[in-house]
Amino acid sequence: MSSLRQIKFLLGKDLRIELRKKESLISMAFFGALILVMLNIASGIGKQIDAESGAGILWVAIIFSSVLGLGRVFAREKENGCVAALLLSPITPGEIFAAKAMVNFTLMSLSELVLVPVFYVLFGAQLTAAPLALLPILLLVNLGFSTTGTLISAISAGTRRNEVLLPILLFPLILPLTALAVKATAGAMAAKPLTELLDQLEPMVAFCVIFTAAGYLLFPFAIRED
Amino acid sequence: MSDEAAFLSVSGLRKSYGSREALRGIDLDLQRGEFLCLFGPNGAGKSTLLKIIATLLRPSSGQVKVLDYDLEEHPEQYRSQLGMVSHQSFVYQDLTVLENLEFYAALYGVEQPRERALVLLEQVKLADRYDMLAANLSRGMQQRLTIARALVNDPALLLLDEPYTGLDEHAASVLRDQLQLLHSRKRTIIMVTHNLRRGMESATRLGILTRGELVYLEQKTNVDPTTFEELYFQHLEAV
Repeated sequence: MSSLRQIKFLLGKDLRIELRKKESLISMAFFGALILVMLNIASGIGKQIDAESGAGILWVAIIFSSVLGLGRVFAREKENGCVAALLLSPITPGEIFAAKAMVNFTLMSLSELVLVPVFYVLFGAQLTAAPLALLPILLLVNLGFSTTGTLISAISAGTRRNEVLLPILLFPLILPLTALAVKATAGAMAAKPLTELLDQLEPMVAFCVIFTAAGYLLFPFAIRED
Repeated sequence: MSDEAAFLSVSGLRKSYGSREALRGIDLDLQRGEFLCLFGPNGAGKSTLLKIIATLLRPSSGQVKVLDYDLEEHPEQYRSQLGMVSHQSFVYQDLTVLENLEFYAALYGVEQPRERALVLLEQVKLADRYDMLAANLSRGMQQRLTIARALVNDPALLLLDEPYTGLDEHAASVLRDQLQLLHSRKRTIIMVTHNLRRGMESATRLGILTRGELVYLEQKTNVDPTTFEELYFQHLEAV
């Protein structure tokens, strides 16, 4: 059976559960919005903030809230040994990795559909760029975060302190991607043309390629019992 | 014993966890259609042996060969013909009974997943609960769903790890019926259990595994039940 079909079945199953329960999506969007409100209050409501600060605030909310979804997607497979059932089936670990990364990418993108507008409502009056200019940056971070996060959540799901280990292992790894994203976002918010953002976007693409490949190759070792 | 090539061949199988040896050189040949029941005390290595045969664990040394399948190059082809009932249910609590079976059937490449799922639900007597979330099933019903899940791909090789543990009478009778049906259709079955009565009523071959070694293996037709029981308890006491 083709890999794409296997990925489609697994992705469909995860999204069906998520749409039914909405536990990851609601907690991600709510927690991210809460961070934005708190930082809005901390920075002074209605006070002028520059593009660099705005970019930092947006990515703090997105990254911290997205970890909630990452942990849940894999924890669900651990319940009742379902991860072993997947390993017993004809699906390959690479296909499991691809499906899980897509689930995480989808959840992250959906929560951003809430968080970016909330950010613009709270801080947007002082920022010049249209939210659409953020699209390539959001997509690249979502890809890099989802693939790296899928690998790390598979590793941490096998431990007792999953919820603690996941951010501790993940945040240092995605630090370069986050730093580049903050800088690129600041540029986009300051209405710089896309060509001026290539200094950040190109290494972000490289990060995504490297970490997606590494995740795909290392995932079979992360998911197996031995 | 038949002279034809073994369907499943285990040779020199060893597995260590650190300094502890869980399996100490297991050799075993099974013909297609055989039903082997392995008995043994806790910690004997029974579950480890099944997990290695299921490709969930890698052996420290030795190998498992299954006729027609290359476990090294194309393990997914082998796994498409494998079914397993484990200590865990392998069931998604947030999917309905039908969705669970349909998902697994699709994953195994079953031609008409929904139809297959509905047939199995009839067989395990859960057809009237098809739209219930698995989380809302009683324990006995969950166990019947677990049995149906393991049979979703009509496996050529079925591995059962203590399948009767905690089963209610209804679920135990469903399992026994399904095992008899599979055996009559020449499916190869390996079951590990503590339950002498359940194991001996279905199996065609009996074995005893203690301390990681297969200390006894015989066709059931050559075994006197009382003698076997005594032998088994001798091994238990020795452990």
